[in-house]
Amino acid sequence: MKKLSTLILLLAAMLPAMAQVQYGTNQYAVRMNIGYLHNTTYGSHAGFDFGAFMPINEHFEMQADLRFTTANAHAFGVQLRPKFAVPVGEMFIDARLLSGLYEKDGFNDLVQAIGVGYRMDYVSVQLGMSTRLVIPYPYDWHDGSNIIVEPFNLCYRVEAFVRPQTSPWNISFCISNMTDYQIERLWQLIFMANGRYNIDEHWQVNLSALCKPTGMFHLNAKYYAAEVRAGFAYNF
Amino acid sequence: MKKTIILSAIVALLCGCNPETTNLDIVGMFSGSSAGIDERIDDSFRYNDEHGMPVINATAEEYKVYVCTDTHVDFTRKNWEQFIHAYRADLACPLALHLGDLINAQRHWDYMKRPLDSIPANPLKNDTLLAVAGNHDLYFNQWSEYLRLWKTSTYYAIVRTPAGKQDLYIFLDSGEGFLGQRQTEWLKQTLGWADNQGFRHIVVCTHTHLFKRDTSQGHTSNMPLEETYALIHLLKQHKVEMFWCGHDHSREITNLGTMTSIIIDALEDPEKHPAYLIATMDDDPIAYRFVDVK
Repeated sequence: MKKLSTLILLLAAMLPAMAQVQYGTNQYAVRMNIGYLHNTTYGSHAGFDFGAFMPINEHFEMQADLRFTTANAHAFGVQLRPKFAVPVGEMFIDARLLSGLYEKDGFNDLVQAIGVGYRMDYVSVQLGMSTRLVIPYPYDWHDGSNIIVEPFNLCYRVEAFVRPQTSPWNISFCISNMTDYQIERLWQLIFMANGRYNIDEHWQVNLSALCKPTGMFHLNAKYYAAEVRAGFAYNF
Repeated sequence: MKKTIILSAIVALLCGCNPETTNLDIVGMFSGSSAGIDERIDDSFRYNDEHGMPVINATAEEYKVYVCTDTHVDFTRKNWEQFIHAYRADLACPLALHLGDLINAQRHWDYMKRPLDSIPANPLKNDTLLAVAGNHDLYFNQWSEYLRLWKTSTYYAIVRTPAGKQDLYIFLDSGEGFLGQRQTEWLKQTLGWADNQGFRHIVVCTHTHLFKRDTSQGHTSNMPLEETYALIHLLKQHKVEMFWCGHDHSREITNLGTMTSIIIDALEDPEKHPAYLIATMDDDPIAYRFVDVK
C-alpha cells in the first residue's frame, strides 16, 4: 500500500491536472460521468455526475453540477462566470455556490466562492476566496449556534492544456484546492488530469483522474483519495 | 546570470532536502519519509499489548488535567519548562498531556526530554505525562525517535477517582493530517466498548485540528473534509464530550452540539501568546481555563 501511495503521489506530482472539462465553449451542453472513487475514510465507492453548461451570451456563462455517490456524500454546485475578452485570452469572474451533502455524517458543507481568472488557449489561472458554512442536520432552526463558519479561505486553480481550446481533443493538467464538487481548505492540494475528445459536433467523450494526498503541508504527505471518471457530453 | 540562478536553485533544492541543513522536509511534501500511519499503528499497538493502557489513580473526585501542545522545542525550552514546573507543582493534577509537535525538527529530542528528568517531580502525587505525535515529530523519518521516548501514539488512558468513577482519554495519531482506516476502526471499537463502561467523561486528543474558524490561514492544514465530518459524526455518536487538539497555534473553541472542540494555543518559545489549558474534571461538565505563559 505504501508503494502504491508513493506511486500515486509521484504520478500526481508529475501529472498535475485539472477537472474543468471543456465540454462546451460556446454551445449549451449537458454531460454525464460515472466514476470509481476511493478515499481512506469511505473506502471504494462509485460516483455519478451530471452537469449542464450554459453560455447565456458572449459575456456570461453558467454551469450546474450534481454528484451522487454510493458513500452517501453528494454535492450540488452552481457557477456563474461573467467574462470579458482581452487582447490575448479572456478574463472572467467565477462566483460559485457549492453544497456538499455529507448525508451519512449529517453535515451540509455550504461554500460560497468568488474569484478572478484568466484563460488562454493553453493556460487558465484563477484566484479567489471562499466562505464555508458547516450546517449540521437535522438542523434546529431556532438555534444558529451550531453552524460553524470558516469565514475566509483562499481558492486557486492553475490549469495547463496541451492543445488550443478549439481543438477537437485536449488534455489538461491542473493543481487546485477545488473541484466542481468540493472546495477544500487552502493547504489541501488536489491534482487533476482531464481529457476530452469531440466525436462529432454534438458528442464528446471525457476521461478524468484526480489524486488528493493529505499532509502535504504537514511535510509528511500520504495518499488519501483518488478517483477516475469517464463519461460523455452532448453539445446542442 | 542565467547559470548563477539555475545553480542557486539547485543548491537551494539540495539544501532543502538535506536534514543537516534545514528544518523543513521538502521531499516530505510529496512523499513522507516517516513510517506511514498503518506502520505506526502497528508499533503503537505492539507497545500497548505488551504494557497495557495507562490507568491513573486520582486522589480526589475532582482533579485537574494540564494540556499543552506545539512546544516546538529546538534551541530554547523556556515555556516547556514552565509548563512542567506548573503541572508538577499542582497537587490536584495527576495527568498532563502534550498534543504533539514536541520538537521543531530533527536532533532536538533529548534536549526536549531533559527537563522531565531534571525538574523534580512531587513524590506526593501521580506524575504522568502522555503525548501524541505531531507532524513535526514525524517528518525527516523521526518516528523511531518519537517511539524511543514516547512509546506509543494511538492508545487510551483511564483516570480513576477514589469513588471508582472513571474518565477516558483517547489519543489519536494524526501526524499526517488523517487517521487512516485501521486507526478509525480501532477508534470505533474503543468507543463502542466505552459505551458500556459508564465513563464519567470521554475526551479525544490528537494533533491536527478539525476547523479553522479564525482568519489565521497561516501555515497549518486540516484533515480532509470527508475525514473531518466522519470523525465528528463518530465522536458525537458515542457521546465524546471534548476534542482537544493543537497544530493551528491559535486558540479556537467550537461548539459542535453535544461536543466541544478546542484548539489549544502553541506553547513554543517565540510564540506571541503562548498558553496551556487546565481542565477541571468532576461530576459536572468539563470546565476549562487557559493559562497564559509569560
